[in-house]
Amino acid sequence: MEESKGKIGLKEFIVLTIIMIGTKVADDTPAILFESLHNAGWMAPLINGIIAIIPIYLLIKVVTSYDRKGLIHVTNDLFGKFFGFSIVFILWVFLFSALIIDTAIYADIITSVYYIKTPTIIIYGVLMLVCAYGAKRGLEQIGSVAYLTYPYLQLTFFIALLLTITQGNVHFLFPLFGPGGWEVLKESALKLSIYGDLLYLFILIPYISSTKNFKKGTWIAFIIIVLNLTIAMASYVFFFDYNSVMELNYPYHEVIRTITGGFLTNLETFFFPFWIIASIVRFAIYLYLTAILFGHLFKIKHFEYVIPTLATLIVFIGVIPESTSSTIFQLRQGLLSISTPVFFFLPCLMWLVAKLKGVTKK
Amino acid sequence: MLRKRFKKLLEDSPPPEDKKSSIKDIKVKEAIIDPNLDKTLEIFQSIYSYPNNQDVKIRKMNISGLRKNGAILYIDTITNPMVIEEHIISPLLTNEDKTKEISEIVTAQSITPKIVINEALIEINKGNVALFIEGESRVYLIGASQFEARSVEKPENENVVKGPKEAFIEKAATNISLIRKKIKNENLVVESLVISERSNNNLFLVYEKDLVNNKILQNVKNRLDSLNVDAIQNLSLLEQQIEERKYSIFPTILYTERPDRAASFIEDGHIVLLMDNSPDSLVLPATFWSFYHNSEDHYLRFPYGNFTRLLRFLALFITLFTSSLYVAVVTFHSEMVPPDLLLAIAATREKVPFPAAFEVLVMELAFELIREAGLRVPSPIGPTIGIVGALILGQAAVQANIVSPIVVIVVALGGLSSFAIGDISMNFAIRISRFLLLVSASFFGLYGITAFFTAGMFYLVSIKSFGVPYLSPMTPTYVSSGDTVFRRILKNEIFRPGYLKPKDMEKR
Repeated sequence: MEESKGKIGLKEFIVLTIIMIGTKVADDTPAILFESLHNAGWMAPLINGIIAIIPIYLLIKVVTSYDRKGLIHVTNDLFGKFFGFSIVFILWVFLFSALIIDTAIYADIITSVYYIKTPTIIIYGVLMLVCAYGAKRGLEQIGSVAYLTYPYLQLTFFIALLLTITQGNVHFLFPLFGPGGWEVLKESALKLSIYGDLLYLFILIPYISSTKNFKKGTWIAFIIIVLNLTIAMASYVFFFDYNSVMELNYPYHEVIRTITGGFLTNLETFFFPFWIIASIVRFAIYLYLTAILFGHLFKIKHFEYVIPTLATLIVFIGVIPESTSSTIFQLRQGLLSISTPVFFFLPCLMWLVAKLKGVTKK
Repeated sequence: MLRKRFKKLLEDSPPPEDKKSSIKDIKVKEAIIDPNLDKTLEIFQSIYSYPNNQDVKIRKMNISGLRKNGAILYIDTITNPMVIEEHIISPLLTNEDKTKEISEIVTAQSITPKIVINEALIEINKGNVALFIEGESRVYLIGASQFEARSVEKPENENVVKGPKEAFIEKAATNISLIRKKIKNENLVVESLVISERSNNNLFLVYEKDLVNNKILQNVKNRLDSLNVDAIQNLSLLEQQIEERKYSIFPTILYTERPDRAASFIEDGHIVLLMDNSPDSLVLPATFWSFYHNSEDHYLRFPYGNFTRLLRFLALFITLFTSSLYVAVVTFHSEMVPPDLLLAIAATREKVPFPAAFEVLVMELAFELIREAGLRVPSPIGPTIGIVGALILGQAAVQANIVSPIVVIVVALGGLSSFAIGDISMNFAIRISRFLLLVSASFFGLYGITAFFTAGMFYLVSIKSFGVPYLSPMTPTYVSSGDTVFRRILKNEIFRPGYLKPKDMEKR
């Protein structure tokens, strides 16, 4: 009722996080990882998962020492007004460009894999329309929809994985370390920002029922995400072997096009709707987060009202690149590399400053 | 623009003649009763346009024991003649005792004195008898009302095989008694409110005072108080007056004609509204699940009850998606269908000159028309509609190559399933959504269906009924008996729904 307005519970938060980051398995993130890691690409989510524990742990430590204050407040408090503003601004730029690039990729997936004849801008427009509608409803509603749909999303994903693994070949995994142990570690670490979105979750703390739930939820969701990503990436290798998997832009969609189940020979249209739901929920959260940051930066109290404008802007910027699959792919790779140090060092810096200022001891 | 002008014109013009006279009328009605009997009677006669108004009766008499003149006034079509004769007139005329008060003489069930004319009028209009005594500046109102109503019958819309078979009728007093029969508890409160200004329609709020959340109760009362309407005849009209989203296709107030269902909602901490002229009750707040449930789900044993729930759940999705999925698959995703079936579909569609979307839309519309016509048709010719619908529209349309046989199957399946959703409001909501999904499927195939469905979910979770989220207790999660898609065994249904914040959470 009135008291719980805008707050989301533990379950909703967990599934929200899983959908937000776990969906990456079905876009071109695997392709980026496979490109440099060959058949050891599946290890990257795992290795990165282990590395990412450090920044997440530090950030949780810093942020939870404040009483139910989000990342925005904490950065302002730690770095002062000017640097705080700059950091939030940089975060916003990253998020907004990630949102544009990701949505452009998703629109490209839909048009190039499923709707070859439909103009991209229409598909893109519909996608952003629904996302903007969802984001405008508020975080509570996004959380609820995530919670309602998650079991089915995860179930269909599992079915897809099961079919993939049974129809694949385990021996494709070897040699285990692909281009070499050190190489794997180095290249993985450079793509650490596949988990970078976790940073943005800290903005949501004031909207979550309790700090304890946030802490618990982040860890649970993180573990599930790492498992999901690792298993899925490994099963791509099972199925295609590394040579072809490196060539594929969107392995998940190639997988569901290729697998068969009983009398149904083309399963992709069965999995496609669930992937769309996940994507819509994912971008709705992104859009909401972008709006929060934007609202904070430019002192807009009712930030929900900028969501439609942002969504329109995204569509128009997103359709500019002409051959999406290759241009955007490059852009995304670049963005991942640039944001990696931010994701790793910002929490460390915050922890250090907090330590020096003596905030964490309170 | 025009409307604004018109509005301004209305506001500027002086009050018309009628309005002036009605202001005078209101003044008369707010006055206090005159001790002079003749004068008082004159006022009442003019208010009731006495000799012209056929069923208004005035009987003058001399109250023997008190040696005073008196008169009774009543509307004889809504009063009980036996009560007037035996408990009012006869004791007044035969009384010999000089020391007795009026309330001691009259033997009717209730007697209340009123001073203001207006208050007396309300009671007279309800079928009570007004007794005026010479020299007294008050009027005695004696309970003698009797409205015509049918007797308690079986429910028409919410049929069950197992369980009680009583339904509400158009008389609120009977309905309250049906509820009291199920909840024999002193905490069951029946509050009465007058909700309309001209017709003085009475509304009864029924709740258990040691369960109901005061905030919700106050919220409901506030909304009822803020009504500013001349007449609200029954609950179906009231529902539309007090609901939050008047354009929404999803209902937010449950409408049930079963007293057992209403009683079980009261026992959970809900508020039930009853009214004269309404063979039903309104339950609020209502969630999506209450529209999806049926009282029989709980009367049947656990496995059977959940089996019906499962069927209903399937029916819900079949109704929503069959026709749109067919259009999407045939138009956009033909590779999804196994080749043999695809060839079969293609063969049947070969002679049909229309696109699949148009074909399905036509058939869906035809189905809805048959349904609507079947509902309105006088019962003697009812079977004809069935024959016409099935034979002409089904068989002949296929033979004339207007639709393909598979479309008939698709539409019939969806139409049949839609009957499994018992609640009439939810039924409409689902049927309308089906058309919207069909349209989005014909534009974007599965992508359109999914996008629209997701948007619909966003909408669904943002609806609130008197502050209660529509899909609670599923999401947002609340402590409850977990009675959503499926139910638990009765032993495990321990809690009242947490979203109502009842004063007593546990059911035992």
